[in-house]
Amino acid sequence: MTKETYLHDKHVQLGARMVDFAGWHMPVQYTSIIEEHKTVRENVGLFDVSHMGEVFVSGKDSLAFLQKIVPQDISKLAYEKAVYCQLPNKKGGLIDDLIIYKLGINYYLVICNAARIDEDLNWMVRNKKGLDVKIDNQSHNYSLLAVQGPKADAVLRKMGLDTIQESFTIKPATICGKKLLISRTGYTGEDGYELLVENEFSEELWDKILDYGKEFGIKPIGLGARDTLRLEAALHLYGNDLDENTTPIEAGLSWSVPKDKKEDYNGKDVIMNQIQNGTEKKLIGLKMLDKSIARHEYEVYKDGEKVGVITSGGISPILNANIALAYVKNDKNICTGSTVQVMIREKLHDAEVVKKPFIDKRNKIKIE
Amino acid sequence: MSITEKILCSKSHEYILKNEDDTYTVGLTDYAVEQLGDIVFLELPETGNEFKKGETFATVESVKAASEIYMPISGKVIEVNESLVDAPETLNEDSYEKGWLVKIEATGDEAEQNDLLEYEDYKEELE
Repeated sequence: MTKETYLHDKHVQLGARMVDFAGWHMPVQYTSIIEEHKTVRENVGLFDVSHMGEVFVSGKDSLAFLQKIVPQDISKLAYEKAVYCQLPNKKGGLIDDLIIYKLGINYYLVICNAARIDEDLNWMVRNKKGLDVKIDNQSHNYSLLAVQGPKADAVLRKMGLDTIQESFTIKPATICGKKLLISRTGYTGEDGYELLVENEFSEELWDKILDYGKEFGIKPIGLGARDTLRLEAALHLYGNDLDENTTPIEAGLSWSVPKDKKEDYNGKDVIMNQIQNGTEKKLIGLKMLDKSIARHEYEVYKDGEKVGVITSGGISPILNANIALAYVKNDKNICTGSTVQVMIREKLHDAEVVKKPFIDKRNKIKIE
Repeated sequence: MSITEKILCSKSHEYILKNEDDTYTVGLTDYAVEQLGDIVFLELPETGNEFKKGETFATVESVKAASEIYMPISGKVIEVNESLVDAPETLNEDSYEKGWLVKIEATGDEAEQNDLLEYEDYKEELE
């Protein structure tokens, strides 16, 4: 059975094209993916991402539990801060990627991918043996709305947002007289917020954001533009760029993995070994040198030899070029500025290896 | 008489339009184009290429995916709408007068058109 978010009828009323995504009936676009993409880069957009999972972790062994399941050092996570994490299996391959928030003493919120909630929960339960931890899946009770773009802050101020917060923090806040949890995070490479609300309030909040946002050019944004936005920002998509056979080091996520974490965690031996000795494959950014479009699962060649595969590919409405992420063998000749070929409908097309992200991200807001 | 009254449509959303000189214009229906969303790339055949009914003769790519386009009847390509290569978005605006894909000389017999539908019936079939 396909699930619907509490905002499903809103999307239909707005004329969205609905598609099945990870078991949910979700809007892929309202008007045009390209137009919606540009709206987020230039002004502000509103996304329904209520399909994402919310899992609360509590109990006196919460920290020990989280330390065991992610490579990141959760002991260093301060109150009301967020950290991007991965959930590795024992071989270092990724069951999911997550955001973990510290909401209080022995009280954490884990946001996981819609398609992976069941796997994540199974894995968490298997890893809690002997620990005093409560794993509380509240995904069905919460809606998640993302307000993203350079004018996102202005829209929420207009709505009476009463807190000031840096990127990657979460705070209880009041908007239009309602209490909710607001996180300054997103999946677009832009500044923005994600609003965690109880389902009952989601429709009212959706309408109010669109209403208050009108003067800032706000538009509802579908999953189509969410995908093109995250690709330009080179943010990984689980299922495409991450899977159970890929470690965070291979995925180019070394920056997120501490080298000095004392506690053991699943896959630590593999991950630490790769940090020291390197990996066999690596994730690179590609820019097509003609008008062709590289897509998921297309093969990558260098000097006539197959060296890898595209994991995400598409258009960049901002660069006016076609871009992709690909896993290739870790060869020093496949470096920034070098040329590889992508097999598209039995023809090879040149692509340049470029730095990631493809655009400058603007999502690091610091408060002095 | 509007253009949709003169075309025949395939179930895979291509159309043919018979021209005065007995050649056919081939393209995608407005429904197909709407379903695809923003069209960002087109791969078209070359003049002289021959295709059997049902064969892939072109590829259209939207933001989301690449889709193959099939020949509704057998034919030899006599003209390609080259203007679409630099402006594939034309298809989103109008897939008939400006956004047609190729013109062909039919190489099969008329019976090949038996499974093609008039526009009104095609629309009804979609509902």
